[in-house]
Amino acid sequence: MGGFDFSNHSRNAALHAQGFPLPTATSTGTTIVGCLFDGGVVIAADTRATSGPIVADKNCEKLHFITPQIWCAGAGTAADTEFTTSLISSNLELHSLSTGRQPRVVTCMTMLKQHLFRYQGHIGAYLVVAGCDPTGAHLFTVHAHGSTDKLPYVTMGSGSLAAMSVFETAWKGNMTRQGAVDLCSEAIKAGIFNDLGSGSNVDVCIITPEKATLLRNHITPNEREKKMRDYRFKKGTTAVLNQKIITRADISKYVTVHELDDGTPVAAEKMDVDT
Amino acid sequence: MDALVSQLETPRSQQELYNSEEEQEQLALSLSPSLKFALPPIAQSQAWLRAMTDDYSNPNCPIKIAHGTTTLAFRFQGGIIVCTDSRATAGNWIASQTVKKVIEINSSLLGTMAGGAADCQYWLAYLGMQCRLHELRSKRRITVAAASKILANLVYSYKGMGLSMGTMCAGVTPQEGPALYYIDSDGTRLAGNLFCVGSGQTFAYGVLDAEYRYDLTDEEALELGRRSILAAMHRDAYSGGFINLYHVKESGWVKHGFNDMNPIFWKTKLGKGEFSNVTADLN
Amino acid sequence: MAGMFAGPQEMMGYSFNTAPTSASEPRQHSFYPYTDNGGSTLGISGADFTIMAGDTRSTSGYSINSRHVPKLFLIGGEGPKNKGARIVLSVVGFAADGDALKEKLDKEVKMYKYQHGKPMTVSACAQRLSHILYNKRFFPYYVHAILGGIDEEGKGALYSYDPVGSYEREQCRAAGAASSLIMPFLDNQVNFKNHHIPGSGEGHDLKPVVATPLPKETVIELVRDAFTSAVERHIEVGDGLQMMILTKDGVEEQLLPLKKD
Repeated sequence: MGGFDFSNHSRNAALHAQGFPLPTATSTGTTIVGCLFDGGVVIAADTRATSGPIVADKNCEKLHFITPQIWCAGAGTAADTEFTTSLISSNLELHSLSTGRQPRVVTCMTMLKQHLFRYQGHIGAYLVVAGCDPTGAHLFTVHAHGSTDKLPYVTMGSGSLAAMSVFETAWKGNMTRQGAVDLCSEAIKAGIFNDLGSGSNVDVCIITPEKATLLRNHITPNEREKKMRDYRFKKGTTAVLNQKIITRADISKYVTVHELDDGTPVAAEKMDVDT
Repeated sequence: MDALVSQLETPRSQQELYNSEEEQEQLALSLSPSLKFALPPIAQSQAWLRAMTDDYSNPNCPIKIAHGTTTLAFRFQGGIIVCTDSRATAGNWIASQTVKKVIEINSSLLGTMAGGAADCQYWLAYLGMQCRLHELRSKRRITVAAASKILANLVYSYKGMGLSMGTMCAGVTPQEGPALYYIDSDGTRLAGNLFCVGSGQTFAYGVLDAEYRYDLTDEEALELGRRSILAAMHRDAYSGGFINLYHVKESGWVKHGFNDMNPIFWKTKLGKGEFSNVTADLN
Repeated sequence: MAGMFAGPQEMMGYSFNTAPTSASEPRQHSFYPYTDNGGSTLGISGADFTIMAGDTRSTSGYSINSRHVPKLFLIGGEGPKNKGARIVLSVVGFAADGDALKEKLDKEVKMYKYQHGKPMTVSACAQRLSHILYNKRFFPYYVHAILGGIDEEGKGALYSYDPVGSYEREQCRAAGAASSLIMPFLDNQVNFKNHHIPGSGEGHDLKPVVATPLPKETVIELVRDAFTSAVERHIEVGDGLQMMILTKDGVEEQLLPLKKD
């Protein structure tokens, strides 16, 4: 296991003391919720990532895989939630391999809280942990300082109050699967519309003892309308002072060049872009 | 009560004079640049203002005031050249690229602005008013010395309150000939032949001092003013935009354009081989 | 190398040029009379019209105070609805200061009309606004104001202000939370910055596009695109778009929905 490199810590503290601002981390000023139902558990999240007042990602994924039957919703510093959950995911896999048993949600929660407590809140991960194991369906929250809660319905992040108001109004015991999905979606929507740190779409994950189902973009209440004008520029609009043509012969001195079969460009991965 | 009724009965346009002295005073106050400024209701108003508006000592201050930047003026045998850039910045943000930093006080007097844009605009307008009043009272044009002193005394009376201006007054009068004064918000007032003011002043001085002679021809002087400002606009991030050029002569000032720096820069680079630090070479 | 880490160096030699106190050191001010209410405004002037626009969201922190708080105000009209007004003021920043500023300017423009028997010109109103802002030089209004109208020649007029009253007549201006997102777009689409005429020359001979006033329909489309785009990327902008179109015939107001997330 790696760990953290603190070698720049003193230098950065000294620079900050001289008036240099520290770089701002992308934070998921977020709404995340979870709710137990008869036969499983549901977690949900919005999809906005912000950096200060700027929307850094309109459709990010805040529901993280830990094990096939344990999922986690993350709020706080984006990188911290990402890396903490993937670290615990790896450790749980090793743990289950060495014990030969299915990982339990309490184990996951305990590992997370011990990891976070060790760093005294400097790892800014606020998590909703949910899953099913041989002992049943479980739902927890874990705070950055290491405290945890076990409750039938939970909310976290900057939109937690908006979301909790929905739960406190409409939550009932012994809910159905669909009832829990709908209630969680409503709670996230309350966060999306009433909390500036949350926005865009609703992601939902339903975990039952049989399987986990991720409903990516379950609800999309904020689709962008078409722009009124076309902003494609004519070729030659931008001034060019100089140009240099690099031939295939030149470049193949440094890298291997492969011919494409039919000449059509191959997209490595599809991206979400505005037109 | 009767007075109030009679006042309301006759329309304003038919009343010869305003009824109460107070009202007249209020009217005069509201329509001319006033010297009564609102102050925050606390003891340490200067420290408070600084914390709110000074982006230099506090880069995260909530109110970012627009600042002006490189200006220059110099005296030579043909009069005075006044030249400025046109950029206004608020923190790191370029608030405008089209600021008129040469303020035409009257047909033979110019003022320049550096420091707080609002301070310069307001107080140079106020100076223009005072100069006109002087003219009406004494039936002759105010001297540059007198005009600059009005401004210097004025800003000195606000010393420590947080005004920020570095300005030059340039003009030609029968009494003085071409005269140039530097005034800043600390209260400094200097007569001189050559001044550069603002964050880009050092860059402008570098070019101006190297090439300056008193017996420059009009064309040479205009070109030197332009080239000095160009150097400052090129090297100083807080200066840029358009080059604003004026020539003050005995007959009054003449404007020599408000021109985009970019074509001038490339003309200077490609035509004269200067600015060899900039290349568009890809190899 | 030392220079790189030396922090902000000296700038101008004026009153404020004291040694920088450490920015990281905690500073407490018990007197903080401002709140940033977010939102964004913009104005574009054309040959015979001016368009002012602003979103209608009011925020503080991560909360929405209201989804409909107008930032555009008619100045110097008749009665509570400001009928017949020909000048529009937009203010963004601290809404209470903005309101106070609007009330003051409106009062003075009305008083001018009553005392002189003719409406105030836009240029006079623009200078008056500058002086009102500067009168609070030592206790500033926390606002960025834009003033729009039609000038004496019938051309669109637009004036923009800093918080203490430095002002300038311009073709277009964006202010407020999303100004840094909208202003570069306006520079490119209204003043045609970085636009060249394709094929008009090689290298330095390529001719730049000369900015000409845009037709009203185009400007309305640009304004709407500017706001729908700002809403996508700035959390404090949204809910509604208030637009005022000023022509010689008066002011037409439009209210359009924006995304509410």
